[in-house]
This record gives sequence, structure tokens and C-alpha cells, in this order.
Amino acid sequence: MKYLLLIYGNQEKWASIPAAEWPEAIARQDAFNRKYRATGELIGAYGLADEIQARLVRREDGQPVVTDGPYLETKEYIASFYLLDCESEERALRIAADMPFADVDPVEFWPIMHEAKPDL
Amino acid sequence: MTGPVAAGRGEVEGLLRELAPQILTALVRRYGQFHLCEDACQEALLAAAQQWPSGGLPDNPRGWLITVAARRLMDQVRSEQSRRAREELVAAATPPSELLGPPPDAEPADRDDSLALLFGCCHPDLSSPSQIALTLRAVGGLSTAQIAAAFGVPEATMAQRISRAKQTISGTGFDFSLPSGAERTERLRAVLHVLYLVFNEGYTASAGDALTVPALSEEAIRLTRWLHRLLPDDGEVTGLLALMLLADARRPARTLPDGSLVPLADQDRQMWDQAKIAEGTALISAALPRGEVGAYQLQAAIAAVHDEAKTMADTDWTQILGLYDLLELTAPNPFTALNRAVAVAMVRGPEAGLEVIAALEADKRMARHHRLIAARAHLRELAGDTGTAAADYLDAARRAPSLPERRYLALQASRLAGRGYPESRPATEVPDRHSGHGEPRYRQCAGTARTAANTVAGYGGLVSELDNLRNGAEQFAAKEGGAGATGQVRRRRRPARSAEPGQGQGQYGGGQDQGQGQYGEEQQGY
Repeated sequence: MKYLLLIYGNQEKWASIPAAEWPEAIARQDAFNRKYRATGELIGAYGLADEIQARLVRREDGQPVVTDGPYLETKEYIASFYLLDCESEERALRIAADMPFADVDPVEFWPIMHEAKPDL
Repeated sequence: MTGPVAAGRGEVEGLLRELAPQILTALVRRYGQFHLCEDACQEALLAAAQQWPSGGLPDNPRGWLITVAARRLMDQVRSEQSRRAREELVAAATPPSELLGPPPDAEPADRDDSLALLFGCCHPDLSSPSQIALTLRAVGGLSTAQIAAAFGVPEATMAQRISRAKQTISGTGFDFSLPSGAERTERLRAVLHVLYLVFNEGYTASAGDALTVPALSEEAIRLTRWLHRLLPDDGEVTGLLALMLLADARRPARTLPDGSLVPLADQDRQMWDQAKIAEGTALISAALPRGEVGAYQLQAAIAAVHDEAKTMADTDWTQILGLYDLLELTAPNPFTALNRAVAVAMVRGPEAGLEVIAALEADKRMARHHRLIAARAHLRELAGDTGTAAADYLDAARRAPSLPERRYLALQASRLAGRGYPESRPATEVPDRHSGHGEPRYRQCAGTARTAANTVAGYGGLVSELDNLRNGAEQFAAKEGGAGATGQVRRRRRPARSAEPGQGQGQYGGGQDQGQGQYGEEQQGY
């Protein structure tokens, strides 16, 4: 069963982290990624670009229409996402709780329906 | 002059998969070092798959494969850093004649070895996904890419799982001594569970390109058939094979081309595979009277009763209910109880079934499970209570873990709400409870073996599938050193401050994925 983990944040929050702490933070996240790639459970870990590079895309008259995004009202937006494939929800929840900053901010956890087997 | 024997790709494929466990066991027995031998074996199989279809089969395919695999093993050992010591080990352990392969008339005396290999791949130190992956590769002879495709994960992810599993096995010291007594029973149970999960994984998958995405249910049947040949007297091995055949027989009717589910009641029974039904029925009929009745045999018997019914209304629910009574005795499990509730409804009426379900709702985790809610929806509809049935279907749809189920359940909710889906069907008819069904022979056979069933339940030879999954999650974390966090997952409701200690502590955490022990025909059966 596959699961999606989402980390939210914004510039203000990240700017508040002292520069000296970043190397350790990155190292902890890298260690998490290595650990669960090695167990064969982390399919991918993806950090997203800055919000100024995000776009909203529509189709009008068959043509793409692109505006800057995300929506201005969004206080926090997706910073990174992680794709897991685990034998149980229990296990996936444990991995989510093992995210380096899960003790500071919650990790959003979504079961993925596509490719899930009907429960027969 | 005898040229090379021409061989079709399919023929080569089948032969290689048949030989794969033999080659690996021969190598491991000779050189130890499971990890390296497994890689070498895969490379030899790959070489054969590339060369044989065009170049023809060698005179002694098995000898050819062992020779090539042994050479690859030596290449690997050489290229590894600790060259000299290992090189000498391999060289010393290899009589030169061995590299030529055994003579064609040599007895391939590795029946037991292959069985030991299967037991090793299902080692209790491994998590379920690792057991499955390793079994498919080492015993099934599938490539990492094929297994990854079948499970919908990248090849690198699957390679990590297999590599880790092999390291775990190497760490425990792979040996070919088969366990005996109670441990053997326990280990065989793990083997059957792995085969069952492989089957389940492929149960509804649509047929893809057979070369890239193997049909896992067919592979599970092939391996279980092979296991049945090795252990023809084991009732549960026979039962599992029968269960797979009887369930797989309905596959052509189970899904529409777009992937949507067709419930048992609506399936075109003309599309069921009669050859598989006949084989499964014969197997289970032979196994049941022998006395050692277990959960797989009982599930197979239930599947056989369904498969023998010409129409849904012909179904012998009385016999099915009797079998569920035995199953609850043998392997108690909330999902068995749920299936039984539906059988109760079909025999004694929907209200009686709803009473059984109400008792199951005492468990909060079960009360929120989509399968219970879907079953309740079905029975409420049968009882004529369409309003609450529609609400239940909708609730079940929201909780369903997979897309086909969610769509199916949402469609039922819409149908009851009168939103007019053209393909909607009327509520399943409650069959005439006294229609002549002939002899309830499975129930009778199983009944004579009732004492045996008690014995099985008594020594706990068959823990519920649910327990397996629950324990599996723990094992994964503890045994493979995967998780740092091994504490309990506490669940709180929003708002986060109103803690509800003890609620839903993941007891059924593994239950949503797969293999809950039933195919759930009864639960508004798909």
C-alpha cells in the first residue's frame, strides 16, 4: 500500500532557522531518506521549488493559461513530499513519525488509492 | 546430425522458472553464500533467456545453468574485494567435473532442497514484503524488474528489498536443514501465507504484458502446485491450492474491461473457468475427509459451494453458513465473523444477519471498517431499509482503501438514492431458503472432521490472517532494523487536544492492505 507524506511551510518559517542549523537539518533529512530507501519502503523524496516558481495552470480555448501561484491566501504550502510503499498503515505511520521534524510540525499523511488492491 | 533443439520463448520461460530453485539450491549447497549465489543464479537465467530461444536448448539445461551460474559466482567473488581467500574457497570447493555439469541421466536429487529454499525465503525474520519478493525471485525465478512491475514500485526500490532480505537470510546462516515438528508446522504456515499474499496481490490485477508484468495469481498457483507435489499429504497445502483455483476461476467475470468490480451476484457465470473449478473441487473433496481441517480448506470449501451454484439464487447458503461456523472455530477473525453474518442473513433473513453485525460493532475499530459498513449496507438494503443502506454505502465508499471499491460502493449509494444509473441492478434476491440443493457434501465432510478442527484450533496452528499482518508490521520494524520508531502509534481524534487514550491503537493497522483471510463474496461480494 502506498502513502504520501506532505511537509508544509513558508519562507517566514524557514528564514527563522539560523543558517548554522541548516547543515544539520539537511543531514538529518538525508539520513532519513537513506534509511528508508535501504528498507525498500521510500520510493521517492521530493523537495519542491520556491513558491515564486509555482504556477497555476488553466486551459482556455484549448490553450494553456498560466498565472503565478499558489493562491495568495495560502499561508503555508507544500514544501516536500515523500512516497512510501509499506506493508501496513501502521508501519507507514511509524515512518512518518520518524521524519526528522515530526516533533516540531505534523506530517500530513494520505493513503494513495491508485494501485491499491481491492480489499477482497 | 542433431542440431540444437528449437524452443519457443514461452517454453524457455517455463523451463527456466521450473529450474530456477533447483539451480539456486545446487549452488547454495555447494558454495554457501546465499547472497552471491542468488545473484549468480539470476545472471545464468538471464543468459539462458537470451540465448536459448534463438540458439536452441542445450542437451542438459540444468547442467548448463549450474555451470554458467558457478562461473558467474566465481567472477563475482573475484571482483569482490576480499579476493584471494574466497577465490580459493570456491576453487577448492569445486571439483572440476562439476563445472561440466552432471551427466544427463543424473538424478536431480534436490526435491527437499527446493522445499528448504522456499522455507528459507519465508524465514520469520523477514517482513512480509521481503518474504514475497525473495520467494518470487529465488523460487519463482522472476527478475527484480518483473517483481517491481508487478508491485508497481521502481526497480531500485524492489532491488533494495531483495538485497536486504538476502542479507538478513545470510546473517541468520542459510542452511538446508528442514525444521521439524511444531516449528515445521509454524514455518509451513508462513510459507502458505506468503503464497496466499502473492495470489491476493494478483487477484484483481488486469492482465498486462506477461513479459513485463507477470500475473502474480498464476505464479502463486504455479508455486503452490509445486509445493503440493512436494507435500501431497498436507491438507492445508491442498486447501490453499484449491482455494486459489476456485477463486481464480471467477476472475474472467470479476472485473469489467475498465477495471470496475462485478459483484458475485451479477457475474456472468458462463465466464467462470470450469476446468479450474473442476480441479479445485476435486482437490478439496479429496482433502476434507482426511480429517485435518484448516482455514484454507474451509475457505476452499466455501468457494466450491459458490462455484457450483448455477445462479446466485441456487447458492447453498445453509452449507456455507455451516462452513463459516467451522471456520470461526478454526481461525477466529473479525472478517470471518463478518462473512458469516452475511451467510446468516441469507439463511435466516437480513435482520438476523444485522444482529450478528451489531455484535461486531462493539469493537470500535471494526465498527469503522469499510467492509463492515458495506456488509451492513447490503443487509439493510435486503431488509428494505434503503435510506440507511444508502448512507452506509456512502460511508463505506469514503473509507474504502482502493479506487475500484470506492467507485463500486459510491455507485451503490447513488443507485439507492435513485440517481438512476442505467447499469444499476435491483437488490440481490434472498433465495428460497428451502430450495433443493442436493447433498451438502463439503459441510458433511468437514463436519466429520470437526474434532480435527478443534485440535487445530487447540494448538493454535492457524492464527488469524489479521494477527499475521499485525505481527508483520512489528516484525518489519524490529527484525530488519527498519524503523527507529518502534513505540506504539497513538491515535487521537481532532481536535488534537481531546486525547482518547487507547483508542484504535492500530490493532487492525495492517488489515486494510491485503489478505484478511477471506475473499468476501459474502460481503456484498465483488
